[in-house]
Amino acid sequence: MSIVKCTHCQLEFDEIVMITEEKNPDVYFCCNGCQGVYHLLKDDGLDSFYDKMGNSSIAPPIETDDNVEKFDLESFKQRYIKSTPDGFSKVDLVIEGIHCAACVWLNEKILDNTEGVLEANINFTNNKAKIIWDEDTVKLSEIIEKIRSIGYNAYPYDQSAEDVKASSAQRDYFLRMAVAVFGSMNVMMIGVAKYAGYFSGIKPENLHLVHMAEFLFATIVLFYSGWIFFRGAYYGLKNRIINMDLLVSGGALITYIYSLTILFGAKGDSYFDSVTMIITFVLVGKYLEVLGKKSAVDAMDKIKSQVPLEATIVEDGVKRVVSLDEIVVGDIIEVKNGEKASVDGKSIVKEAIYDESSLSGESLPVEKQEGDTIYSGTINSGMVMRYEATKNYANSTLSTMVNLLEDSLASKPKIEEMTNELSKYFSLVIILLAIATYIGWYLYSGDSEKALIITIAVIVIACPCALALATPIASLIGISWATEKGLLFKEAKFIETFAKATTVVVDKTGTITDGKLTVKKQSKELDTQDVALLYAMVDSSIHPVSRSIKKYLEKEYESIKTVELEKIEQLGGRGLKAEYNGQTLLGGNSKLLDEHYIELDSKSDYTIYHFIIGVRVVASFELEDTVKKDAKEMIGYFKKIGIEVIMATGDHAKVAKRVADEVGIKTVYSGMSPLEKAELLISLKEQGKTVVMVGDGINDALALSKADVAIAMGSGADVALAISDVVVLNDSLKGIKESFIISRRTYTFIKQNLFLSLIYNIITIPLAMAGFVIPLVAALSMSLSSLIVVGNSMRIKTKEL
Amino acid sequence: MNAVLKLELIVGLLASFTLLTIFIWSVKKGGFDDSKKMMDGMLFDSEDDLRDAINKENKQKALKEKKLKDIEKSKEEG
Repeated sequence: MSIVKCTHCQLEFDEIVMITEEKNPDVYFCCNGCQGVYHLLKDDGLDSFYDKMGNSSIAPPIETDDNVEKFDLESFKQRYIKSTPDGFSKVDLVIEGIHCAACVWLNEKILDNTEGVLEANINFTNNKAKIIWDEDTVKLSEIIEKIRSIGYNAYPYDQSAEDVKASSAQRDYFLRMAVAVFGSMNVMMIGVAKYAGYFSGIKPENLHLVHMAEFLFATIVLFYSGWIFFRGAYYGLKNRIINMDLLVSGGALITYIYSLTILFGAKGDSYFDSVTMIITFVLVGKYLEVLGKKSAVDAMDKIKSQVPLEATIVEDGVKRVVSLDEIVVGDIIEVKNGEKASVDGKSIVKEAIYDESSLSGESLPVEKQEGDTIYSGTINSGMVMRYEATKNYANSTLSTMVNLLEDSLASKPKIEEMTNELSKYFSLVIILLAIATYIGWYLYSGDSEKALIITIAVIVIACPCALALATPIASLIGISWATEKGLLFKEAKFIETFAKATTVVVDKTGTITDGKLTVKKQSKELDTQDVALLYAMVDSSIHPVSRSIKKYLEKEYESIKTVELEKIEQLGGRGLKAEYNGQTLLGGNSKLLDEHYIELDSKSDYTIYHFIIGVRVVASFELEDTVKKDAKEMIGYFKKIGIEVIMATGDHAKVAKRVADEVGIKTVYSGMSPLEKAELLISLKEQGKTVVMVGDGINDALALSKADVAIAMGSGADVALAISDVVVLNDSLKGIKESFIISRRTYTFIKQNLFLSLIYNIITIPLAMAGFVIPLVAALSMSLSSLIVVGNSMRIKTKEL
Repeated sequence: MNAVLKLELIVGLLASFTLLTIFIWSVKKGGFDDSKKMMDGMLFDSEDDLRDAINKENKQKALKEKKLKDIEKSKEEG
């Protein structure tokens, strides 16, 4: 058996399970979806997509049963579609399934090639799309179908006021930062000429020219890029608060004014370069903060796009589609297969099957009897069913979760960064020392110019460059190291928090276990005919158990014969029934055996599947969700270094206990709802613990948003990925251990850097205050201190993981 | 010598400020909103892509003209 790549999605599989084509022996497909999309792209001349993909892989096409007609409904149009001034329609969508730049290209291309689409612009960073089209030529439902035809999916979202605000803030800060970087780079280049001139001699008029050029750039940087600091300082003073902004803008302004006096005739050196540096460094940090806020808004839009748009209610036998807000308690709601329940209620049908993975994280569907609670946001996996609303939309589980998530994202506590705190006091002390120096020297020498020069030297030598670099440089190296290992830290500050972690909370399904059922035991061997019959049975169902059995048979038995079954019937919550040559075939759980009065001792802790022909039990299969191979190693590591490991799962106590015992976790919380998981995190934090949460599903999203550091598995739900702070791209638990080691090592170096820069200041500032350092030497030693910090940080990666 | 230096400085400043103006214009137009797409931009600059861009522009022009005509027509009828 050899491993081959799927020609479309580029994921690797055993050659034996791949779909091949006689006409094209070089192509392999992992599923029909990939095969369909491949041919569609080839026919449309879009196969250069595969060249653009490079080495990256994508997820196989998303298959959805969701109908597209709802996109043409009047209620939908009123809520999501806007008109442009020239009479076209506009909608904002979130595109699901985008993995690489080639995906963006393909989606844009297919939409551009669609008749009637005026503009299709997809943002790769947040997967949001803006589409403008002519309603008379093409319907939105057709546009969505186009997107689905190439294996992606699209959901509309309401472009919120926060989104517009966050986007414009991001653009504004980006522009200011770019101008600051531009100014600093130019000033640095000019600075080379200036400092070279000090040693090799420079004519005063040329020096003046150089100062003029520096002045030009420094003015732009200080008053355009640095404007936000002046504004912040003004509002701070208005509210009687001395903030960072005051110190940054004040320090830069004093240096600027002093440099101006030099430019216009006074003796001495100008420090326009220090002005631009101070503003640029601090502004880069501010920009990263703004980016963080924008990504929180994007995450929220992704979550909101998962909320169903409307529901079908049944009144006196007449069906009516209404928006969610119109549903009142007592309404009878109809849910088709694959649709989400929109409000909480109780089932009025005898049997129904619901996929509650969005609440419990468990992949196995749950059976619902008459009177059982149906939770909003869960998916009907069975036939069309009806239930009675017991809550309106605003009070339902889904809406509550969305609101809680929104609150926690908006107010996610910013860990007080040590550097920021430190530099705040540091700057205040420096300003006070500078003032004291000026007064002292003025009183001592009576020469105001000399006093000013020494004061400037103090400010320049203490310019918190090394201090400002101490954290970002070390973090940058730590983050790039982590990225090489397949770990994505979304923000640098999580390195510090992760390094300080005291407790790790892990989800079970998908995190500790693979989240997929695999056959663990087969009671009897099957002959060729039985294998063919069982394969045909499981092939006709999309139930996770059937899918696992199908995969198992494909792996265990070679060249399975194809047979056609008759009268295939889904027996809700029990299994499948079919006929072949007059014989009845049954496949399902123990309830199915009881129902057909077949006696068999089938007690097991695992999920069980029986295959029966007539009244003969042909074989039974035990399935289990297997524990990931590196789970034990990771948990063992955390326990060894004294970090508490807790498992929190929506699954039953028995299953949770078994998995916990296997991997060595002592504290287990089972049967937890998303809300309870979040409460657990809050209570742990209240005990003063620094909590890391590892999860992968929609059900973990709320808890992830409450954690100090949220880690998501790369294959997890989009929502979990959007909320997380660290993404483990290769899904490996070893990656979590590695990211912790990297965080700890980086944090150690941050502390070392801070120590080094403080030592430097403790030595040099008194010297400057005593008047032993001329401003030029101050500027040079400031650069030297920055170099020491950078050099020290480079050592982070020298350790082998 | 001094004149050459002055000239160099002025030309350099003019060139850099022109680039800065273009950059600011591009940022304000939203050209840098999508950092990831921007970084991968060179992947999508082939001859075919440029041809597609022209076709897209023509298609947009035709659609806008058609829309204008439709609006005028409906106004006349209305």
